[in-house]
Amino acid sequence: MEPISETSLVTPAEIIRVEGVDLGYGGHALLQDLCFSVYSGEIITILGGSGCGKSTLLKALVGLLPVMKGRVVVGGEDITDQDPETLTRARRKMGVLFQSGALLGSLTLAENVALPLREFSTLPAEFIDAVVGFKLNQVHLTNYDHYMPAELSGGMRKRAGLARAMVADPEILFFDEPTAGLDPITAAEMDQLILQLNASLGTTMVVVTHELTSILAISHRSIMLDRERHGIVAIGAPRVLQTESTDPLVQAFFKRQPGVIG
Amino acid sequence: MDPAILEISSTADGELILTPKVPLNEQMVQRLWREIRQALAQHPPKQAVFDFREVHAMDSAGLALLLVVQGYCRARGIVVRHQGGGANVTRFLGFLDATAPAVGPAEIHHREHWVARLGGAFWENLLDAREMVSFSGSVVTAMARLFTGARRFRWRETLYYVEMCGANAMPIISLISFLMGLTMAFQAAVQLRQFGANIFVADMLSLAFTRELGPILTAIILAGRSGSAFAAEIGTMKVNEEVDALTVMGFDITEFLVMPKIYALGLAGPLLACLSSWMGLAGGLVVGVIGLDLTVGSFMQEAYDILNLSDVLTGLVKGFAFSILIAAVGCLRGLQTGQGADSVGRQTTSAVVSGLFLIIFADAIFTVIFHVFDW
Repeated sequence: MEPISETSLVTPAEIIRVEGVDLGYGGHALLQDLCFSVYSGEIITILGGSGCGKSTLLKALVGLLPVMKGRVVVGGEDITDQDPETLTRARRKMGVLFQSGALLGSLTLAENVALPLREFSTLPAEFIDAVVGFKLNQVHLTNYDHYMPAELSGGMRKRAGLARAMVADPEILFFDEPTAGLDPITAAEMDQLILQLNASLGTTMVVVTHELTSILAISHRSIMLDRERHGIVAIGAPRVLQTESTDPLVQAFFKRQPGVIG
Repeated sequence: MDPAILEISSTADGELILTPKVPLNEQMVQRLWREIRQALAQHPPKQAVFDFREVHAMDSAGLALLLVVQGYCRARGIVVRHQGGGANVTRFLGFLDATAPAVGPAEIHHREHWVARLGGAFWENLLDAREMVSFSGSVVTAMARLFTGARRFRWRETLYYVEMCGANAMPIISLISFLMGLTMAFQAAVQLRQFGANIFVADMLSLAFTRELGPILTAIILAGRSGSAFAAEIGTMKVNEEVDALTVMGFDITEFLVMPKIYALGLAGPLLACLSSWMGLAGGLVVGVIGLDLTVGSFMQEAYDILNLSDVLTGLVKGFAFSILIAAVGCLRGLQTGQGADSVGRQTTSAVVSGLFLIIFADAIFTVIFHVFDW
């Protein structure tokens, strides 16, 4: 692959660029030669069966997992080399919602959400309280600020995790299975929340999921991964993939046919 | 006031028009707030109008500023109005009305009266005591089932814990007991030498370690080492819903998770107490031989003469009882774990503290009983 000049790395609308990336653990590449871009303001879903490397890809995008080969550029920062300063700069532009919400059990909801601001911003306490109130309001948890995470349902914990992820106004929000383990109504509410936040704040969203309903409801584009082929098998608008893709895996995924994945 | 940050003008109707000239973001909001507060304090208006036509960027910190300003003005009866601003500003202004200060449940959480808190704490302790009694009942029932042959003994798990809590604890118990014996003998030697009663250091140490210090030292180390480990192990299983899974699969949690630990400590505890007594005596022996001109033979003979069977048995009984208490309270605290990692930490601490309390409490009871029956 030809070297790319610094200026050509990210075009104005391009917020994430993945170039020829190999990913895996212990020297074994789970995903090979991944190439795709994410554009500012879009909601992109990463799909695939269990164990195909969706969460691995997400970890690489947020700099938690070093890539074996290739380059990852997020928000104009090349995080491939895992340089701590570059990673810190890149992470200021991102928020991550982990699968369980990952709230700290010893802090109240408000304290959890305020944590990044108290640590990394210069805002005085009354401003932080106002931002926390605003963020909790955005995820419909206005009156739960004094609750401990253990006192909340799974869906509420995820929403609180989302409030914390976006408290510092990130340019990109990453979601790891945001609707996994939620009942259909709560899952639909989470989807609606993602759409609302995207529409109101224009935040770019990268969502790892295998929930078909969510994929169709929220995605502007989808990237489908396959464990057998160690990489991307399709990229496009999910409705288009659903109706026009001739790939047997894509068809099976959208038609919920057994026996093709894994 | 700095017109480069905030432009201020007023109208004939008593309106104060505030025009921020900088982005409403984290870097600027504190300076802007100082300017705005100063302007509002100097000329308190009936209405404050914020004109955002020169604001090109805004983030959540800017929204926080507007919320703070709104609260400030509301308290002083000033009406706030917003005008102008591009898409960057208006999309945040849309959230301004929706972000009302928290009301409702937050207000219910006022501080309780101290009598209510005292009552609450008493009630919680009462519930804890009830759980302890109920748990003790289930342990005894499980033991009875084993002895009546209704259930099999879990050898593999029990031996695993015997090794983990017994064999692996031998070095630390030996070392601490040896050093304790050494220290006690040194302290006693200073006094005993004055009366030419050097040999009585053997009497003192053998009685103290066999009846009291051996079991107590062992129990304290077991509480810190094994009681906490049991609580953390079961607590983590609880948090990970493994205990629920076992229950659903039909396992009796007491029999499956608790009893092997209790049997293991019940077996290892008295043996470790014996080891502790021996090592304490060994420490005393070293001081006796080196510092008090005693021979190994005379020291051992004196210890042999002063000890009788009841001394050894009371030590063993205490060692057994303390170990059972530590294992039981460790497992109980583990099973009482709620949700979250902090709960595991709390219960682990509680396992050690409760274990130590129960050891001392039980020791006091044993001392009274042994005194009454002259054992």
